[in-house]
Amino acid sequence: MTTTHAHAKVSPDAYLPMMGKVVEVREMTARENYFRLELPRPLGHRPGQFVMVSVLGIGEAPISISNGPTTTNTLELVIRRAGRLTQVLSELKPGDLMGIRGPFGSGFDMSWFDGKEILIVAGGLGLVPLRSLIQPLVANADKYPSITLLSGCRNPAEELYREEVREWSKHPKLRVIRLVDGTENMPWDGEVGLVTAPIPKLDIKPDRTIAVLCGPPVMYKFVIIGLNQKNLPHDRIFVDLERRMKCGVGKCGHCQINDVYCCQDGPVFRFSEIEHLPEALL
Amino acid sequence: MSEFLTTVSSAVAWIKGLAGRHELFFPLKHGSANYSFQPAGPSADIQFEKYRPTIVPPVKKMLPARDTLFTFVKSPSGEPTVTPTLDTAPRILAGVRPCDLKGIHLMDTIFENGVADAYYAARRANTAVIAYACPKPCDDRAFCHAVDSLDHRAGADVILTPLKGDDMLVEALTDKGREMLAGVDFPKCADAAARKVGAVAARPEPFGRALGAKVSALPAVIKKQWKSDLWDKHTERCFSCGSCNLVCPTCYCFDVQDDLNLDTTSGHRTRTWDACMLPEFAAVAGGHNFRPNAAARQRHRVKRKFEYLTERFHEGAFCTGCGRCGRQCTAGIDILDIVKDLASAEVES
Ligand SMILES: Cc1cc2nc3c(=O)[nH]c(=O)nc-3n(C[C@H](O)[C@H](O)[C@H](O)COP(=O)(O)OP(=O)(O)OC[C@H]3O[C@@H](n4cnc5c(N)ncnc54)[C@H](O)[C@@H]3O)c2cc1C
Ligand code: SF4
Ligand code: SF4
Ligand code: FES
Repeated sequence: MTTTHAHAKVSPDAYLPMMGKVVEVREMTARENYFRLELPRPLGHRPGQFVMVSVLGIGEAPISISNGPTTTNTLELVIRRAGRLTQVLSELKPGDLMGIRGPFGSGFDMSWFDGKEILIVAGGLGLVPLRSLIQPLVANADKYPSITLLSGCRNPAEELYREEVREWSKHPKLRVIRLVDGTENMPWDGEVGLVTAPIPKLDIKPDRTIAVLCGPPVMYKFVIIGLNQKNLPHDRIFVDLERRMKCGVGKCGHCQINDVYCCQDGPVFRFSEIEHLPEALL
Repeated sequence: MSEFLTTVSSAVAWIKGLAGRHELFFPLKHGSANYSFQPAGPSADIQFEKYRPTIVPPVKKMLPARDTLFTFVKSPSGEPTVTPTLDTAPRILAGVRPCDLKGIHLMDTIFENGVADAYYAARRANTAVIAYACPKPCDDRAFCHAVDSLDHRAGADVILTPLKGDDMLVEALTDKGREMLAGVDFPKCADAAARKVGAVAARPEPFGRALGAKVSALPAVIKKQWKSDLWDKHTERCFSCGSCNLVCPTCYCFDVQDDLNLDTTSGHRTRTWDACMLPEFAAVAGGHNFRPNAAARQRHRVKRKFEYLTERFHEGAFCTGCGRCGRQCTAGIDILDIVKDLASAEVES
């Protein structure tokens, strides 16, 4: 029995992590840490893709890539303590290693944005993956008539990328609206209200605007209601979805949304591609 | 030409001969009423006709309940060495019924699509399959004919078809099959096609349970039933135990776990069978569950078999009609009953 079937790619590489070295860790909020890693080789990712992050012997979880595309070996992540693995990750120090697989997922194609007015809506941790898109947009701001960022979180203490968002807001091409649900008696220099509140006042041109959303499941519904009132076509609304994921390569079945696999077909989708899927948003 | 005409006893002798030279699995009695694919030696009780489908389908030899993906050892500085653990041991699965052959074929489709799954592919490439074309339904739960898997052939290396009397048609479909038959002195069969037609004609009618609808019409029918009360009706008794998933030849979902050895510097990453009927399967961090009740999970299971994967892979239904889920369900829930109800609800409306 020497004959073998003809198989496509049969290397186990897709399941084997490479080791990234933590070179910087920063506490961002009480629950989230920022990590900068040096990888053995450049990741070559697109904005909106994710990696599977692990500590060998503890476990593995999907985490968004937070930096824009780069030719260097740098990978930036922001990780919230949510359970066992993320607790262990939050205790890592410079010099420690993380297992990294990927990049996985569809991500954003930068050419979609050429010449468009861009609206980005980020709720809470949603800013983490969207930063990988905002960075190249800001770096090439001349290509776009306007860029608007609505970034919301629960209270001032939970704001992510505080300094960087303030830097973006100084950019002449960028309009940044930062919101909190409530100030909870903390100092706050932004607006108070839900991330959907500014939408009715925005100048959204149905024929020229692209909207990108990432946030908790409930956010999508209300932002989309707001965008519908502006008649924005659904093929120009992009959503970045979250599912439980175990493999990242369309095999483990966890991320299945009706007939699509979030890890491969997404996690970035045009709203028009998934609006007919009853399990997509809630 | 790779068609031979022999007798059942010669075919059994051939398989026993192979069992002496290769690791060979055959459905053997397991307890009083059940069968399972077990290593069979030259003296094993090899009988084609008797057994009803094993509790665990043979395709799981390629996707075991616990499958180690790699081991690791950390150096004193913490730098790990990661070693993939591919299983390339050659083996033969013999006595595979058409439903289970279809199961293997469908799993091949899934695991070789896109990024091929090296662990499945390594075992598959080193596995030879000797199938057995059933002349009568294996038991009263079977509905292979209703879902078009009774005459399935792709994925087999050799197919054995029992004919009139004690005759057995032996067909080699692949190089692997021809290799296994090399040196065997079975007489050539010149009229294999006519004999196969005869074997089909001799099968009882109806063959197993019927569906009451064409299986090719089901994706469109089931698509319209998202809000049907039938999902609730058919899950009233469901314990969300996941047994139906674990025994299914086309269920492949898995979980992944890391284990650290007692030395705390070495360990392994293992995938284990998971089940979309288990309550937490679609829960995400933060507590949201995209399929929060048994009806939503049953709907997902049924639509996966008869709509989602069917449309994604163009291989027909992803239910082989083996009847295992109905046989093993503690609550007596049978997927054919659900699908029949869905199909007839459509006719009424
Ligand atoms: C594409 C994608 C990108 C992501 N990007 C990021 C990111 O950039 N940053 C980030 O911090 N997170 C991100 N996440 C979320 C992250 O993957 C999870 O927080 C992580 O998997 C938690 O893993 P854990 O092992 O620490 O937690 P677990 O131990 O798995 O628990 C996580 C939480 O879920 C709950 N939980 C666990 N099991 C169950 C269950 N069976 N039923 C119900 N609840 C359960 C726990 O109580 C806990 O609160 C992303 C997820 C996806 C899919
Ligand atoms: S085996 Fe039966 S009780 Fe268990 S999850 Fe499946 S349908 Fe429900
Ligand atoms: S759904 Fe049930 S009958 Fe269909 S293949 Fe799976 S176990 Fe067999
Ligand atoms: S994460 Fe495994 S199938 Fe998508």
